[in-house]
Amino acid sequence: MSTITDSEDPAAIAALDGTESFLERVLAYPRPAAVWTVVALALFALEAGAVAHFVATLLVDLVRALPGTYDPAAFSRLASATAQVPTLLSRETIPNAGYWNGRSFVGTFLQLPPHLAWFLRVGLVYVYSFAFVAWIWVGFDRYRRYYRAADWSPRDDVIDRFRNHYWGIFGLVVVFMFVVMAVFAPALGPTTVEKNMQNPYGHTITHWDAEQNEPTQVTVGQANRASQSRGTRTNNVAPLSYDQFGRYHPFGTLPTGRDLFTFIAAGARISLVIGLLSVSLSIAIASTLALLSAYYKGAVDLSFVLLSDAVMALPQLLLLIMLTVVLSGTWIGNLYNGAFVLALIFAGTGWPYMWRSFRGPALQVAQREWVDAARSFGQRPTAIMRKHMLPYITGYVLIYGSMTLGGAIIAIAGLSYLGLGVNPPTPEWGRAVNAGQPYVDTVSWHISLIPGVLITLVVTGFNALGDGVRDAIDPESDSAAGEAGGRGGGA
Amino acid sequence: MSRWRYLAKRFLMAIPVLWLGTSMTWAIIFLGPINPATYVLGQTNPQNQAAVKAARERFGLGEPPLEHYTEFMINMVTLDLGQTWLLYPGTPVMSLIFDYAPRTVWLGFWSVLIAVFVGVPLGFYAGLNSNSVSDYATSLTGIVWRAMPNFWLAIMLLALLVKSETITQALFGIPISWDTFLVDINAITGNPQLSYMQGNPLALVTQPRETLAAIKKILPAAVVLGSASMGNEMRIGRTAVLETRSEQYIDTAKAKGVSGRVLVWKHILRNALIPLVPIVTSEAFLLIGGSVLVETVFGINGMGKLFFDAAIQGDLWLVATLMFIFIILIVGINIVQDLLYTLIDPRVGYERE
Repeated sequence: MSTITDSEDPAAIAALDGTESFLERVLAYPRPAAVWTVVALALFALEAGAVAHFVATLLVDLVRALPGTYDPAAFSRLASATAQVPTLLSRETIPNAGYWNGRSFVGTFLQLPPHLAWFLRVGLVYVYSFAFVAWIWVGFDRYRRYYRAADWSPRDDVIDRFRNHYWGIFGLVVVFMFVVMAVFAPALGPTTVEKNMQNPYGHTITHWDAEQNEPTQVTVGQANRASQSRGTRTNNVAPLSYDQFGRYHPFGTLPTGRDLFTFIAAGARISLVIGLLSVSLSIAIASTLALLSAYYKGAVDLSFVLLSDAVMALPQLLLLIMLTVVLSGTWIGNLYNGAFVLALIFAGTGWPYMWRSFRGPALQVAQREWVDAARSFGQRPTAIMRKHMLPYITGYVLIYGSMTLGGAIIAIAGLSYLGLGVNPPTPEWGRAVNAGQPYVDTVSWHISLIPGVLITLVVTGFNALGDGVRDAIDPESDSAAGEAGGRGGGA
Repeated sequence: MSRWRYLAKRFLMAIPVLWLGTSMTWAIIFLGPINPATYVLGQTNPQNQAAVKAARERFGLGEPPLEHYTEFMINMVTLDLGQTWLLYPGTPVMSLIFDYAPRTVWLGFWSVLIAVFVGVPLGFYAGLNSNSVSDYATSLTGIVWRAMPNFWLAIMLLALLVKSETITQALFGIPISWDTFLVDINAITGNPQLSYMQGNPLALVTQPRETLAAIKKILPAAVVLGSASMGNEMRIGRTAVLETRSEQYIDTAKAKGVSGRVLVWKHILRNALIPLVPIVTSEAFLLIGGSVLVETVFGINGMGKLFFDAAIQGDLWLVATLMFIFIILIVGINIVQDLLYTLIDPRVGYERE
């Protein structure tokens, strides 16, 4: 790929000789960068309110969690102020919760039927997300074409290999859709967790009462009680259907009458947060220890081998159960509904599996001449590890990170199926499976089936992504390595 | 000689691992934020200081940590596992384990066996017919099968078995109930009846009816518990066959005119089995962890269920002792795995030095 012949303004770029900084290159030929930035900002502006609100609520939670002297009220005001900023993809802009007043729908977007309004919003969320990613890709492409000093880098080959790896792309798409579901969870659900689950009797809905022939008000709690899915024909709200209060349920309802889709979207968020947090923590531990043991070898390596063997000798799922029981009820166990401590436990029990996978490549790179050269040159060990060894194992980090995330999602679901882990009112996929268990062979089959199918799909996606990344980074690698990591200790 | 030295080293390494693992368990349970004494007293009278103190004394919790630790370690090493506090108060832990373990062993045995006898042949088949439609179908099934959460798979399988009559009616036109298929079992879930073998292991062969019933009872749980392993074995079997096929000795064998059948059975499949050995043994991790969920769903009173109940009810002594047993099991399985590996592939001892 030639950078110069493709560009529209060869003169400006031809003047550069490859020694300038990135900024100088952009200033020499600003048009593509400027266009990209403007569009990116416009895309971001559509959702800026949501981002600000998210940051503000995070601050509120943080201030509450830290036993300090700060007043959370100031941040709460900030949070409610940011909630007023209009965003395109919110339930306020495209509302789906309305009612039939005898002639038309009231309160829904463009007076559409609620299910169409909901589909429209979900569709827009996904279109927006895919557009956003596509635009980032365009940005990278422009960077490569106009502003990168090098014509080619080995990373280009990796990307090209991944682009032809359909299984990996399938994984990427599935994982991305899962991430979008988690990120946009509050906007995706036909209703909100607050209204539908946490405080159902504090909210009312209006619905069309056919007997009295007029719209009437009812609390969400009462409506929920009348729209339960309990396995009989009369007592079931199936997927893609309305309940008798005119509320649309894309995935049906739970046995408590709550909306399953809202539950699942919120559960996706908590699974992803725990998964990401725990996997990045275990990556940090595992790669540090792998670098240390590869650099120092000998006694250091041996002690890490013993430590990791000892942790692995405790069956992971049982260790998880033991630790969740021991730590439940402590202050750390209540942070973010118990999700935080769960992530810590996962990281603490999961790092040996990753460390084993990183140690081999780290030992290999430690044998290389450049490490020797850096050492004789007098560079500090930390600098050698960070600069000359770490980049070599980042590829493995991506592969095992992706596979471990899938395993973490299974294990979290398994724990909450058992009634452990994330504290009860908070939605979690495993709990939906548990709630639907008595009704699997009845008309209310959807309660257990849908979350299970989604877990399988997401985990397959993470594994496929890991496969794709591995084949892209190292096409000759053994395709069946590191199996136990992706299975969440047998959940 | 080197091989023996390798194994001796392996044994020596197991001791600190065992010690570290057990110490961690002790630290989590007895240094953690939980107060086992109040757990034992339960809701009845946690405010009663005298009762709390008495309970602490009884379980030796009043001792200084170091003393308690030494005592705990000595008790464990000498297999003096003491009594449970809560679950079945006063029952010796050892007799509980002897009660519960056979069911888990039975479950684990069949889940390994099913996984091996279904997963490996399928993987080999896929590898021998690589890049065909059947290869893709098998591989995809294996991947999805592996990604399914055990507990969910168990629930779905149970639902299918409950509806077995309707399903077979629709598929084959004859209603076959799982309950009465081949041998009668009283319920789909529950414990397998293994008591007929008590004191008479030969009954396994002499009383085939009971054996068959016990197998049938454990079969759905074993299939679920082995599901992840089955997927792994399929994948690795496939890769192993692919790799063996491209070895030079296969070309040599072909060149000297070895028939296709001998080539596949003698030269490819036998060598492809080597990488599968450590996989099968390392699955013990998954089996022990997975047994908690599978035994819970299928209502089998095995070790996993026992551990879970003990953890939930706060019988921390039982939790600690069971954990110790599991650690011994896993460390032991690891040693057996290395032993097998050195026997099958003599290069190992030298490589891993």
